[in-house]
Amino acid sequence: MAAMTRRLGWPALLLALTVWVAPAFAEPTFPALSGRVVDAANLLSAEDEAALTAELKALEEKASDQLVVVTVPSLQDTPIEDYGYQLGRHWGIGTAKLNNGVLLIVAPNERKVRIEVGRGLEPILTDALSRIIIENAILPRFRTGDFVGGIKDGVRDITLALTGDVAELEARAREGARPDANDPAMDWLMVFFWVAIILLFIWASSRSNRQGVRGGRGGMGPIILPGPGWGGGGRSSGSGGGFSGGGGGFGGGGASGGW
Amino acid sequence: MLASTLGRRGRFARVVYVVLASGLLAGCGINTIPTLQERAKAAWSEVLNQYQRRADLIPNLVETVKGYAAQESKVLTDVVEARARATQVRIPPDILTNPEAFKQFQEAQNNLSGALGRLLVITENYPDLKSNQNFLALQSQLEGTENRISIARRDYITAVRDYNTEIRTIPGRWWRAILYPDAEPMQNFTVAEETTRVPEVKF
Repeated sequence: MAAMTRRLGWPALLLALTVWVAPAFAEPTFPALSGRVVDAANLLSAEDEAALTAELKALEEKASDQLVVVTVPSLQDTPIEDYGYQLGRHWGIGTAKLNNGVLLIVAPNERKVRIEVGRGLEPILTDALSRIIIENAILPRFRTGDFVGGIKDGVRDITLALTGDVAELEARAREGARPDANDPAMDWLMVFFWVAIILLFIWASSRSNRQGVRGGRGGMGPIILPGPGWGGGGRSSGSGGGFSGGGGGFGGGGASGGW
Repeated sequence: MLASTLGRRGRFARVVYVVLASGLLAGCGINTIPTLQERAKAAWSEVLNQYQRRADLIPNLVETVKGYAAQESKVLTDVVEARARATQVRIPPDILTNPEAFKQFQEAQNNLSGALGRLLVITENYPDLKSNQNFLALQSQLEGTENRISIARRDYITAVRDYNTEIRTIPGRWWRAILYPDAEPMQNFTVAEETTRVPEVKF
């Protein structure tokens, strides 16, 4: 009995440890990524939402950048700067290769707005430029209670900033449109590698059987292969009708404002 | 004849087993320590990178403020001196596992944060300065950098916590004992400093 508890003790201790260290910095809860416009605070009518969605879709087709408008009823006592980058990472807006996501976050109850810029777009949509867009296009409208107008003007100016430099834009669109040749190829390589190993293994054991060496290991049971090399990597590319991020990274670029 | 084929087959089987074994070992965590170590180092480079960016922005900021508020020379020289001290701190290669050096680095950067905070507070008293476009741009860049610093620090804290937990808990502890005896626990930022981002200044 004592031996049994001792044996059970280790896993229990480990479990306790992992549970204890697991909670990171308390993350707020985020709305679901239901589309390019996530209007959790209900500021927009259905038509406005559709119009904005079309505009944002056009931007992605043109420049490969993902811009998402999100309104939240509450920031849950998190500074909007912290909320913003965590939300960006949570949704993975932008592609993992280019990190080209942008969020326009509006928190009407806290009277805060933020443009959160993915790492890859920081040199284009700089902090200063984000600040100028917030101060000039968004806040004057918000101060008069015109959320729809402020959001629309903000989206227009962010789009302008992202598509302003034509040569740079073309290069970026090319880069974004190029299929990710790397990943699938690597996956297939790994599959071939493991199939080859299995075949070799079977061949070796059948040879040793045929030559009459009785080693007791002739009939080895199922071979268990480690998983992580291949097969995992379930990253939905967001084709089909729905919209999803591509795993873009956020490091705190952008600017915030309040009214 | 039989002996030689047996020998060759034995060697061949051994190769197969080694390949299989290395695959299985990768599945049960033999690579976790180096992976987490590299991740923590990358997070640290990001911290350094953002602190450097802040240091690069300061001379411009000081020049701009000087144009409007030259009489605040004490605050201005404080910032310049704190910046000089922060950029002069020698960063030894083993800083992450060297508590002394790590503490020194932190203190220098915190000093600079304090001096910078005081400078930004006095700028509130100069309406002309506040409406200067150049200053506004600098200010938003500086705010952005402070924001990036705090995120980079937080990412570093998480990465180091994962790494330190790994080398102190069970499968990682064994792997460390067998294969990575030089994997030392890394230094981390303390939570107290994390909460006091910019010191409060009252007049």
